[in-house]
Amino acid sequence: MTRGQLHEIAENWFRAQNWKPFPFQKKTWRAFLQGKHGLLNAPTGSGKTYALWFPIILDYIKNNHDYKTKHNKGLKAIWITPLRALSQEIKQSAERVITDLELQMTVGIRSGDTSTKERAQQKKQMPDLLITTPESLQLLLATKGYANIFKDCSAIVVDEWHELLGTKRGVQMELGLSRLRTISKKMRIWGISATIGNLEQAREVLLGPSSRALENSTLIKANIKKKITVKSIIPKEMETFPWRGHLGLRLLEDVVPIINNSKTTLLFTNTRSQCEIWFQKILQKHPEYAGEIAMHHGSINKETRIWVEQAIRNESLRAVVCTSSLDLGVDFAPVETVVQIGGPKGVARFLQRAGRSGHRPGKESVIYFLPTHAIELIEASALQKAVKDNTVEDRIPYLNSYDVLLQYLTTLAISDGFYPNEIFKEVKQTFCYQTLSEDQWQWLLNFLVMGSQSLQSYDEYKKVEVEQDGRFKVNNRGVAMRHRFQIGTIVGDAILSVRYQKGGYIGSIEEYFISKLTRGDVFTFAGRNLEFIRIKGMQVHVKNSNKKTNKVPAWAGSRMTLSAQMSKLLREELYTANLEKNKQSKEIKSLAHIFKRQREESIVPNPDEFLIETFRTRDGYHHIFYPFEGRYVHEAMGSLLGYRISLLSPITFSLAFNDYGFEMLSDKEIDMQQVLDNNLFSTEYMLDDLQKSLNSTEMARRKFRDIAVISGMVFTGYPDKGVKMKHLQSSSQLLFDVFRDYEDDNLLFQQAFTETFEHQLEEGRLRMALERIATQKIVWKSCTEYTPFSFPLITDRMSRERLSSEKLADRIKRMTAILMKK
Amino acid sequence: MTQSLKIKNNNFIMHPLGVLYWAEHDTLLISDVHLGKVSHFRKFGAAVPQKAISKNFELLTESVHFFSPKTICFMGDLFHSSLNKEWQLFEKWVKESTAKIILVSGNHDIISPLKYEALGIDVVAELAWHGFLLTHHPEERKGFFNFSGHVHPAVRLHGMGRQSLRLSCFFKSENQMILPAFGEFTGTHVMKPKKNDEVFAIADETVMKI
Repeated sequence: MTRGQLHEIAENWFRAQNWKPFPFQKKTWRAFLQGKHGLLNAPTGSGKTYALWFPIILDYIKNNHDYKTKHNKGLKAIWITPLRALSQEIKQSAERVITDLELQMTVGIRSGDTSTKERAQQKKQMPDLLITTPESLQLLLATKGYANIFKDCSAIVVDEWHELLGTKRGVQMELGLSRLRTISKKMRIWGISATIGNLEQAREVLLGPSSRALENSTLIKANIKKKITVKSIIPKEMETFPWRGHLGLRLLEDVVPIINNSKTTLLFTNTRSQCEIWFQKILQKHPEYAGEIAMHHGSINKETRIWVEQAIRNESLRAVVCTSSLDLGVDFAPVETVVQIGGPKGVARFLQRAGRSGHRPGKESVIYFLPTHAIELIEASALQKAVKDNTVEDRIPYLNSYDVLLQYLTTLAISDGFYPNEIFKEVKQTFCYQTLSEDQWQWLLNFLVMGSQSLQSYDEYKKVEVEQDGRFKVNNRGVAMRHRFQIGTIVGDAILSVRYQKGGYIGSIEEYFISKLTRGDVFTFAGRNLEFIRIKGMQVHVKNSNKKTNKVPAWAGSRMTLSAQMSKLLREELYTANLEKNKQSKEIKSLAHIFKRQREESIVPNPDEFLIETFRTRDGYHHIFYPFEGRYVHEAMGSLLGYRISLLSPITFSLAFNDYGFEMLSDKEIDMQQVLDNNLFSTEYMLDDLQKSLNSTEMARRKFRDIAVISGMVFTGYPDKGVKMKHLQSSSQLLFDVFRDYEDDNLLFQQAFTETFEHQLEEGRLRMALERIATQKIVWKSCTEYTPFSFPLITDRMSRERLSSEKLADRIKRMTAILMKK
Repeated sequence: MTQSLKIKNNNFIMHPLGVLYWAEHDTLLISDVHLGKVSHFRKFGAAVPQKAISKNFELLTESVHFFSPKTICFMGDLFHSSLNKEWQLFEKWVKESTAKIILVSGNHDIISPLKYEALGIDVVAELAWHGFLLTHHPEERKGFFNFSGHVHPAVRLHGMGRQSLRLSCFFKSENQMILPAFGEFTGTHVMKPKKNDEVFAIADETVMKI
């Protein structure tokens, strides 16, 4: 069959649905059938599934003319999705075409939700199209004889690639692809990505920077323009609107008319706990919505989630309170309006969420921004501008993630084993490991086999063995089993499942929260009040309760930062506060009384000014700095400055950060004049100072915790026997200290610091921020009390960093003196 | 810097390495060493640095040299888990030591007493000496002052400017003193002192009364 005839099949199908293929779809079909690899840039709901599913089918038809009568079995294509929740939707779309074209192809899903029975069946006979997650793909590589499964596979499609890029799951994907390129020669590699700043780089990471696949590839842009309207909800009583907060419940009543005026409304919250609270409160205040609103977040069980998604499609729900769990995929035509509660922290995320409404082509998307505290209105105003200018962020890919590589090599070692020479070549072709040296490679191999760099007597380290022919292989069943459990745990925290005592899965929860509960405590989860009974294995047993409670589980990973683009827009918006009224947005105008109050004690800075405020309260001496650069840059700058100040004289700080600035709190007053005279904001020796400051803070420790888990140094436990191995879990903290004291040249230990620099502190941004400050006039205001700008910072009691240059004994003496006074 | 203490007319010295010297009996009390823990981890594929193993033994030697006691009494949890090759290092260490060694066994001590006895070490469930009771688990017994371990006690201090510190400590109540964990690779448990409790925290090179 010619390419023209094949295209005809697809176009006929579109015609039968009364659709017309978009140019980007046809372009993708052509490129795929020409044997090209590529990246497709298309938003959710634009028909991207058909852009890539069709050519896969057409390719099958081309090679199997009797496709209607005969079925040529075996895996033809893999569809990778970062969220399991999306697999059903993809399966339905794929099956629809199969049925209509009278093909005999089959579609299967393989993920954490797939039953053991189904998995076993798949192992015997793979479906033609396998929809799976990056973790499940790794698990397939951990199967004996895996090369056979993939040998006739003609395509792999990585959906929502922008979500994986810039995460370690993305690195896992890069490694998986490097193997597949060798074992399935015919495979075309395709990615689908929403719009991000670095699309070209996204393609390079997917295909490998020096690969032949990259040479023979294309980037196709859907270029679908969508009109987005952003509306801020401005509190009617601005005077009493809180200066800090993150829930936004004060404006709950303003949401009601929005819900009433639209077919279906999605309310996006930033954290799962916020989601739980909003859902409860809406029902409490408006019981008439019972049965018409629902909740959706990643920790709720699969059945409920699927039910909610289905209900949205059936138009049987007025509103759904959700988290990023509904950011991706799933096409919800009935959604007319989206409400974003609290700052979304990034433009891309905000646009993605806005795009969930008005899904039908040609319809406009409407998104409301609901501020949770006064200053957030500046963010609202900045977002308006961002949407207008179409500003989007980059996703920064990881480099040299030794932990993920060690995990991958162990994976290969437990299936068929591997020969280092062959695998090194493949690994070197990935973006992440393009600079990996022979020495580093050897270090990693030594680490796998000996757990160190030289063989010691008395050592019983056991993991990977080298067989006589040089093959690296795991022969110990315990090691293999533990590793399989570990593959899925790229995201750090220990997760327990929540169940009724009599059975019935409700969802999953982080151990951190549960460990603070005692028997009889009541907490809110999945929209109900539950009484905690006990922890058994990795399960939390609960029963329903009528008691009221204010305990809502907090999920880690909820701390986000403003992107560089957002920060810049935010500063520019803030500076308009000093302009005439007619040059201000209505959000900025509404903040007039806050700015007035700020000016009573301090100033609202101009573009050429850098503001520092100092004052004293019962807690101690507060020193507040306002770079307006986003939380992560502030963490870096706070640690750097704190370290430099601590060199001037012995002092101990507690540091707090938010997106606007950072606070140094101490029991002594900092001599601010000395700070300015010594030019402590200098970029000279920045890296060196930063490294030293990190030794004493928690940041590198937190990174190391994940690295220890991913690389297999800390085992997170068997699903049912968690408690038994629990002592291994708490040990990542101890492990950090032991490495610092005895093996600080360990690549994994060093990785913790590199990652802190590159991904947490965003070293490049820090340097630019310091350079900007160098051009500004420093305005130091000694205040008598807190200001509207400083209030959210000084009241942050959580997540503080500590830094000290004092002798332990001196600190203890002072603390003891306070004890005595009490 | 050490810290002295008088209990029931007996003299004790606390050392910042976390050991307690009993002058009247020329005995050194050491609790919760957890030898073999590092090897145990390594055996299960967790590559904890090996140098941490030798450090444990170096510190043991250092504390014994400081006091040169006639008797060393391990207060339980000497070995973290079942027999592994760290035992051979321990054997070597015992042979080089001149002191009499006693082990008051703890919940982690699952290695056969016969293995210890072969090295000349007495394994007992508890020791009652002249009004003093030595056990692994803290215990209240009439007429006795109890020394124990097991808890890995630590204390948390708070100061101005939202400062706080967590320090390993000797924790003394009216009839009881819990020793800190000696081991390098062990965690701690924060205890809240009550009115008549005394806490001696380990701060780098010194023992300080809080």
